[in-house]
Amino acid sequence: MLQCIFLLSDSGEVMLEKQLTGHRVDRSICAWFWDQSISQGDSFKSLPVIASPTHYLFQIVRDGITFLACSQVEMPPLMAIEFLCRVADVMSDYLGGLNEDLVKDNFIIVYELLDEMIDNGFPLTTEPSILREMIAPPNLVSKMLSVVTGNASNVSDTLPSGTGSCVPWRPTDPKYSSNEVYVDLVEEMDAIVNRDGELVKCEIYGEVQMSSQLSGFPDLTLSFANPSVLEDVRFHPCVRFRPWESHQVLSFVPPDGQFKLMSYRVKKLKNTPLYVKPQVTSDSGTCRVSVLVGVRSEPGKTIESITLSFQLPHCVSSADLSSNHGTVTILSNKTCTWTIGRIPKDKTPCLSGTLVLETGLERLYVFPTLKLGFKIMGIALSGLRIEKLDLQTIPPRLYKGFRAQTRAGEFDVRL
Amino acid sequence: MSPPAASQRYPSPSQPSGKSEVTDLKTQLRQLAGSRAPGVDDSKRDLYKKVISYMTIGIDVSSVFGEMVMCSATSDIVLKKMCYLYVGNYAKGNPDLSLLTINFLQRDCKDEDPMIRGLALRSLCSLRVPNLVEYLVGPLGSGLKDNNSYVRTIAVTGVLKLYHISASTCIDADFPATLKSLMLHDSDSQVVANCLSALQEIWSLEASHSEEACREKESLLSKPLIYYFLNRIKEFNEWAQCLILELAVKYVPSDSNDIFDIMNLLEDRLQHANGAVVLATVKVFLQLTLSMTDVHQQVYERIKSPLLTLVSSGSPEQSYAILSHLHLLVVRAPFIFASDYKHFYCQYNEPSYVKKLKLEMLTAVANESNTYEIVTELCEYAANVDIAIARESIRAVGKIALQQYDVNAIVDRLLQFLEMEKDYVTAETLVLVKDLLRKYPQWSHDCISVVGGISSKNVQEPKAKAALIWMLGEYAQDMSDAPYILENMIENWEEEHSAEVRLHLLTAAMKCFFKRPPETQKALGIALAAGMADFHQDVHDRALFYYRVLQHDVHVAERVVSPPKQAVSVFADTQSSEIKDRIFDEFNSLSVIYQKPSYMFTDKEHRGPFEFSDELGSIPITPEASSDIVPAQQFEANDKDLLLSTDEKDDNKGLSSNNGSAYTAPSYESSSSISSQMQELAISGPATSSTTPQSSFGFDDLLGLGLSSAPAPTPSPPLLKLNPRAALDPGAFQQKWRQLPLSLTQEFSVNPQGIAALTVPQSLIKHMQSHSIHCIASGGQSPNFKFFFFAQKESEPSTYLAECIINSSSAKAQVKVKADEQSTSQAFTTVFETALSKFGMP
Repeated sequence: MLQCIFLLSDSGEVMLEKQLTGHRVDRSICAWFWDQSISQGDSFKSLPVIASPTHYLFQIVRDGITFLACSQVEMPPLMAIEFLCRVADVMSDYLGGLNEDLVKDNFIIVYELLDEMIDNGFPLTTEPSILREMIAPPNLVSKMLSVVTGNASNVSDTLPSGTGSCVPWRPTDPKYSSNEVYVDLVEEMDAIVNRDGELVKCEIYGEVQMSSQLSGFPDLTLSFANPSVLEDVRFHPCVRFRPWESHQVLSFVPPDGQFKLMSYRVKKLKNTPLYVKPQVTSDSGTCRVSVLVGVRSEPGKTIESITLSFQLPHCVSSADLSSNHGTVTILSNKTCTWTIGRIPKDKTPCLSGTLVLETGLERLYVFPTLKLGFKIMGIALSGLRIEKLDLQTIPPRLYKGFRAQTRAGEFDVRL
Repeated sequence: MSPPAASQRYPSPSQPSGKSEVTDLKTQLRQLAGSRAPGVDDSKRDLYKKVISYMTIGIDVSSVFGEMVMCSATSDIVLKKMCYLYVGNYAKGNPDLSLLTINFLQRDCKDEDPMIRGLALRSLCSLRVPNLVEYLVGPLGSGLKDNNSYVRTIAVTGVLKLYHISASTCIDADFPATLKSLMLHDSDSQVVANCLSALQEIWSLEASHSEEACREKESLLSKPLIYYFLNRIKEFNEWAQCLILELAVKYVPSDSNDIFDIMNLLEDRLQHANGAVVLATVKVFLQLTLSMTDVHQQVYERIKSPLLTLVSSGSPEQSYAILSHLHLLVVRAPFIFASDYKHFYCQYNEPSYVKKLKLEMLTAVANESNTYEIVTELCEYAANVDIAIARESIRAVGKIALQQYDVNAIVDRLLQFLEMEKDYVTAETLVLVKDLLRKYPQWSHDCISVVGGISSKNVQEPKAKAALIWMLGEYAQDMSDAPYILENMIENWEEEHSAEVRLHLLTAAMKCFFKRPPETQKALGIALAAGMADFHQDVHDRALFYYRVLQHDVHVAERVVSPPKQAVSVFADTQSSEIKDRIFDEFNSLSVIYQKPSYMFTDKEHRGPFEFSDELGSIPITPEASSDIVPAQQFEANDKDLLLSTDEKDDNKGLSSNNGSAYTAPSYESSSSISSQMQELAISGPATSSTTPQSSFGFDDLLGLGLSSAPAPTPSPPLLKLNPRAALDPGAFQQKWRQLPLSLTQEFSVNPQGIAALTVPQSLIKHMQSHSIHCIASGGQSPNFKFFFFAQKESEPSTYLAECIINSSSAKAQVKVKADEQSTSQAFTTVFETALSKFGMP
């Protein structure tokens, strides 16, 4: 049971405070927390669950804003963390992003949201579509409307009846003149490649994202051509479990608007679309580096936005790196980024140059890890394919669309 | 570390001091209060917004309370919301003023818009001013009957808020009964969920002094009710599902069919998108199958995949919480996760706290088949930029080496680390090589040749230096220049700041002297002289002792300082399995994340799920909680105990040859003696550092020996009379055993006559029955017997439960006691002990 939620700016200032139970939590806890996280150094490194002398604190950091929740009693930690993540998601959805100014400009809305999302320390409604019915998001249209009509309320007049129906995620009977439903397969490839170029680990985490604007009460069925590649799946509450158990089809009544239908994991991938061949030789205080990047197996679509970034070790005093394709930048914090873009047809992109080590060092002992980034539109590298999307009753003017995309998640190449 | 006063930090100088602005606002609001001009709502909104933004940045705007209330007569819902927010924030501090607001809130509770009715009711209940409770009952009563589910949802939570303000008002109005019928009949799932949450809280707080509430609380766990919830679980939102799953954990199934029914009902919850639901389901599965070993193992297999998916899908914060739970499971059942070791490989960008957990898991899952890959991976981290992680991974390699039989390859890796010439890598590795040598003396040859090549100038950390010196002393005969390196170090005695290192120097010089007397004699002389002049008491004492032993007889000295050794087979474990079990029982709670059972980090007041301590002290807590408030010292003692425990853990982790202590020389006879030394250390350590009896108590408790909840030793416990005809059915026993906290653990010795009589368990059962302590289950074969006993107080239905394990070969009995009344458990234990001691007597 949470007792209080604070929103802190990136300078540690309390932007918002929401007391949830009768046991007030004094603001001084924030000061304690902030001192603590400063002394820990990078706030990214501090634990999500910490114990202060008086409270247990849960924190998540999103776009420089710290969401801090306090509790004095034992509770499932994931419940608190999940809830804070939801709050952050809903807020960024409502405000069109998250930053200090947005929160400060719209703190009334944030209060209203928190009021509906949690009562007496226990989470209530976190479903965005229902919240949207209770509290209208601040947008240009509603601002205009309020000026024109003089009705300044950003609260809708009707109460969500969805809470009473058996599909709590869907508003009752939305109406659209054109019915649209889009399915996106978004995949992230996580991989570790060791210095001999061997694939140590390679896995894909994917999501089926949907955007649905369908009138009435649509019942959808989505099937895959090859569901057997999926290692493990997680579903939005709307997905019925039995059809999936028996024949691996997703049968569901979708929420309105954008949502994540399913997430999945695919293991045991044998290949990466790109190869990275680093070479380092050090000799008497200098270090020659060359890195080659090329296409290993043609995925069928162009690989875009290829980048390679790494942190130069502390013992490197200066670096002189150049490439035959793309641009190389070295920031003052010793982060080196090589933007390649697309692989040209006629040559293999190569980064080469020398690193000068601090005096007294002969060889490089701490090796950087290269982080590879890329994006491939139009294909899901796991090989998962959508077979079809059926609607039980077909509404007039129906548009269906499918897309796929793969990008690098945590793709580490060790030097 | 204590939080500074709020005023010191907020507001900062750049923010308005507030005084004049607030006065300004006050006059402006006053002007608007009576006005009905068009557009007045807009100007009111602006002003309200200002007031609330002041409130938000921490300026006290309570002085405009009256004006805010006057302006609140409006139909604009946003204005109303802002006003409710303001009122909720300041009402508690201004009980007199809040009377003003009651009127308009009560009016709003009858508004025709359900949203306003709901919001007004919520605000009304959130005022939490004790002398206004009489105004709450009416609106709450009609709110519970409202035809809109939104209002009912809020009213149910309102009842709970009322209960916390004034329990008697809530009970007198018979709200719990209303909630119960709502819970069973309402069509809206959110209303039902709120009822459940409110009733759980109210009844568990009432249970201590009302039998009816106690029965009601039990009835929440009855089979029909549990199935009523579980069958409909999909209708509830994700948070309510967590609540129901928490309830299901406490349910005691009647038979195995029951268990499988529940698991079938809940299986798809493992696929839920919300991690909290998945984890709560995992807990239900694990708890249900505790008694069925095969199924329990299948459950591990089943939950593995969903948990691993959760780890890769969420934010780092979520991953961390799930990894902490996985960590617990991995440590309990490493073989099940052995094939999934790649999931625990660290990615470069992960925060250190995640990496650290992953390293521990990699260590745990290492077995014959995957050790090579895991060690290869760990070696990669040794070159990591993050020094803390690099150190941690070297330690992990060492731990794996100590676990495995085939250490050949690992030793090579470790020796490669030494060639990296990074000071922290060398330091960590030296400590590990020393431990390895203690366990596998057969590797000494390979190691010594590499260690001999290390220049002692490159080793600065005391622990590493001590390790190096230990090896120099221990293997002086194999390292040709050992005496000279030692001599060199001894000459720099004055510059050596760590007493630990100086102690080791003394011992190493002695050992070296026994092996190569002519070369070391001079150095030993200098060392002893410097040691005896040392300002550090322990160094001084040890030098003096060596000197006198040498004077007495060199051969005796050799036998004392450098006896022949056996390899250490098992190092003292860092965390006892009992503690791990306790954490496991508290799955899906903070305990798992802190890696400590809750009694080690929460003080007693907070242990229950719903009990608070109120720092402001204005709200009376429940009678139960206030009657046995734990004295502040106890809490402090707990804290200390916590600190000590981590210290101690670190020491053990280092696995150094007791070089953290001044009490033992790093010489020992057998593996058992080292562990007993460790124990001795653990007990003598805190005794010297703490003076208050409480803290040493807390420490005992940490070792699982002492009394955690019994307050300082009671001089003479009142004699306890037990009911000779007590009755308890096995189901109730099981449930109680699970619910009650452990109040005492004690070890007695059993007299020889007793052991002789204990050929079959029945003899003891009969004997204990004659002392009004009844047996409910027993088992085991010689030499280990296990009994479960229960007893009841003669005058009242207060029950004691005890688990008694008797080992007839060591003539020891270990007793764990759980009691309804914690305070009398000591008395019960005394009775138990007396009864047991008479066993076998004619």
